[in-house]
Amino acid sequence: MSETRFKRMKDLPSGHLLGSGTPMCAGCGGLEALHEIYDILGEKTVFVNAAGCMTLLSVYPFTPFRGSWLYTAMASAPAGAQGVRDALDILLQKGRMAPTDDLEVVVLTGDGAAYGMGLSATSGAIERGLDFLYVCYDNEGYGNTGQQYSGATPHGARTATSTGARGYPGYKKDLFSILAAHRPAYVATAIGAEPLDLARKVEQAKGLKGPRFIIALSPCPTGWDYDPKDTVEIGRLAVRSGVWPLKEYRDGKVTHTKIPGARLPVEDYLKTQGRFAHLFTPQRNEALLGEIQGRVDAYWQAVG
Amino acid sequence: MKTASRILGTALFLDGFEVQDAPRYGAERRGAPLFAYVRASRQPINERGVIRRPDLVIVADDTLVPMPAAGVMAGLGDFTVLLVNSQEAPSVWKDRLNLKGPVLTLPATAEDRQELRFAGAACAGAAAALLGVVSRGATERAIREELGPLGAEVVAANLERALAAFDLMAGHAGCVQEGTEVSASGYRHPEWIDLPFEDARVAAPAIHGAATSVEVKTGLWRTMRPVIDYSRCNRCWWVCSSFCPDSAIGVNAEGRPQIDYEHCKGCMICVAQCPPHAIEAIAERAAAAAEGGRP
Repeated sequence: MSETRFKRMKDLPSGHLLGSGTPMCAGCGGLEALHEIYDILGEKTVFVNAAGCMTLLSVYPFTPFRGSWLYTAMASAPAGAQGVRDALDILLQKGRMAPTDDLEVVVLTGDGAAYGMGLSATSGAIERGLDFLYVCYDNEGYGNTGQQYSGATPHGARTATSTGARGYPGYKKDLFSILAAHRPAYVATAIGAEPLDLARKVEQAKGLKGPRFIIALSPCPTGWDYDPKDTVEIGRLAVRSGVWPLKEYRDGKVTHTKIPGARLPVEDYLKTQGRFAHLFTPQRNEALLGEIQGRVDAYWQAVG
Repeated sequence: MKTASRILGTALFLDGFEVQDAPRYGAERRGAPLFAYVRASRQPINERGVIRRPDLVIVADDTLVPMPAAGVMAGLGDFTVLLVNSQEAPSVWKDRLNLKGPVLTLPATAEDRQELRFAGAACAGAAAALLGVVSRGATERAIREELGPLGAEVVAANLERALAAFDLMAGHAGCVQEGTEVSASGYRHPEWIDLPFEDARVAAPAIHGAATSVEVKTGLWRTMRPVIDYSRCNRCWWVCSSFCPDSAIGVNAEGRPQIDYEHCKGCMICVAQCPPHAIEAIAERAAAAAEGGRP
């Protein structure tokens, strides 16, 4: 990672830009990440919000943002961002807006849109080299509608639509690699529980031009079934168990920004959440636990 | 409460009633006030929508009573029975709210967060008893039916609370009187006001202010209150202040964190994360009482 102004925790902003009073759940991991991101990005931003939990941030006449916010249908936030970027460019070109007043266009989307129905619009925006930042709060399911499975749901998790003894039969899509394969300017994974790592990544992304992506794993007390106070602890366990690798892609290279030294067993993470309770009670599902651990081990062995 | 309404609705249905039950909530998330209603009749029900004149109102969380947004008192008439899940006596509520109708309380389970999970079942059990037309057996079967998919343990725990509440209220069985059917012939048209058609610049729901969400007092969601012991706080402020999802912990000029209780939703992340354990969780009711305020 190159030069950063965030060397230690005390370098993080002490004042917060995102207004309080939002309708997100108490202990929302996505809101935690968003407020940390917004503090670094600053007020000169236009948010283009795909339908999802965070659509509810800005419900007339209330908004937590200090700049503009626009709502789009679920699959089309990158297309909305293209329109806003084009409009800003035209204003700049015609001299109707001073270059110092230019705004950063930021897509804000959940995993349902990012990993699933919005993927094509995102791919198209990278093709066109759209200059924007894309923030995905990934709570591994369609949380706004009651946590049905999405392309981001992990293997074995219980969701509203995966209620069997084995939970969700599919596997979490590797969105990071899908995006990186497009060779955009920047892709990073992050989490609100690691605010310093997150701040550095936002700082990096902010300093670049072109399509830039931040995927923030967002522990969700409502959808993952745990006490809201555990949001940070569960986020930290996701990193320390190796389930959620913190990494970034830039200039054709992937770098891991935080490699867990002695990785904790994955079940230390799974155990904390009701959505995985069926792996432990009434009896331990050794086969499934072993499979999940095996996949995480294989990932880190490949990293080297 | 959504589940409580389903339990009550199913119990009525099992005892031969036509039933409607539905929850109502806004766009807000878990923790925000919500209500659910149940409408039952021996005849087919033609009426639809929210109940405007309830015969029984049950308040699962007594901190909602003073919140205008919760609308607890909406439509309360002289014969409406009000049941409050509260540690305070019915007479206190009757005086405080200046009510003519009957007021009962379901002695709220102490400040135990775990016990709060069963408030819905207890309310449903109490309601079934107060109606006087629902049997204990139907109440039990309704709980088994509605909660069955959650496992035997959950069913047993909820049954215990619901039936205890049913038995507790048995002395008041039938105190809820049946309301009269609302007839469409009595419908009074609202007094419409003509508004001129404005162009989009005026009429569109555009927000021109910054961070107007602070006008929404999400502090009312809280059941537990985080309180900082400044003698133990080591002023590492980034921890609580960065992790608070709601931007509800600021830092003053001396580097001390300060909790904005108007907006803190009571998630308790700060309590769990504070390195020197300088933040304590206190029941909101106790904290408010210590301040001399009413719950």
